[in-house]
Amino acid sequence: MLATKPLLYPGGFPGQQQDPLYGYFTAVAGQDGQISAEELQACLTQANFSGGYRPFNIETCRLMISMLDRDMSCSMGFNEFKELWAVLSGWKQHFMSIDRDMSGTVDPQEMSQAVSSMGYRLSPQAMNCVIKRYSSNGKISFDDYVACCVKLRSLTDVFRKRDQAQQGVATFQYDDFIQCTMSI
Amino acid sequence: MGPRLYNTNEPMNEYQMINHFSVSSRVDKDRSGAISDTELQQALSNGTWTPFNPVTVRSIISMFDREKKGGVNFNEFAGVWKYITDWQNIFRTYDRDNSGFIDKNELKQALTGFGYRLSDQFYNTLIEKFDRQKRGQVAFDDFIQCCIVLQRLTDVFRRYDTDQDGWIQVSYEQYLSMVFNVV
Repeated sequence: MLATKPLLYPGGFPGQQQDPLYGYFTAVAGQDGQISAEELQACLTQANFSGGYRPFNIETCRLMISMLDRDMSCSMGFNEFKELWAVLSGWKQHFMSIDRDMSGTVDPQEMSQAVSSMGYRLSPQAMNCVIKRYSSNGKISFDDYVACCVKLRSLTDVFRKRDQAQQGVATFQYDDFIQCTMSI
Repeated sequence: MGPRLYNTNEPMNEYQMINHFSVSSRVDKDRSGAISDTELQQALSNGTWTPFNPVTVRSIISMFDREKKGGVNFNEFAGVWKYITDWQNIFRTYDRDNSGFIDKNELKQALTGFGYRLSDQFYNTLIEKFDRQKRGQVAFDDFIQCCIVLQRLTDVFRRYDTDQDGWIQVSYEQYLSMVFNVV
């Protein structure tokens, strides 16, 4: 439900610029200014983010929340939401540039190119692992593509934090491995 | 869902054979001689009116489906049933208040009992991740799923921990390959 009160300053903060994203956010966020995976899904659907593509499924939304969930609260504030929007928009542009026939899906080869052009250097085997996880019937949908991007980004962050020497090798203690990997 | 069918160390006696046959033939609705994901899903209850988690069903079937045929035969089904009954017993042990759900504290006790050392905050993450009923607690099927994923991660970690000291050193590629297969 969109707010119908004609406020000049959203949230009642004097002087705050009207950010169009803020409107979408506050419509679902409620008193605590945080959104859950379900609310994020509603928000993105309402903002028609996916455009011609099918709306995001709830699991992808959960992944997006955990990608930016610095305080492990399983919810997202407005600043994170803005960050997410920017990142998602980039990925969407990218996807649309490969999905020439607007079918809503890309094939593994195109997916592989997309991942490489985002800057990830993966061997063919690692790339296969990644793609296998997200294809259905040999195709990758927009939703799965985003889920994959989120996961790659999150896992790369996790890895980097444990690669002290920046040599591309990370050290994991078992308890930490379980928790950081499952938190994605 | 039925008593423990047999002790793995002993062959089934006649009574157990008949019992096993009647359970599996009740589950094998289309009498195909194999139990599919759908048939197993229909035979299981998670304590709510919602269908048993299909991802968990798939995990269980694939654990016992030797030939990757997409279902389990009569013999393999005995393993499936025992596996599920074992999980039921564990679930009952930790569902101390008999609510049919495992809450955060009960989950902590269960996983600590299994030997995991996890932070309090992480339990919030686990519940958020696995609780499909959205009640802040885990139902039977989601509990199994959570444990299966933890187990898989542990298995993959162990494979790399060649000196068994609880530490691994992996390249970026290895890390991605390890994890993308599991979570």
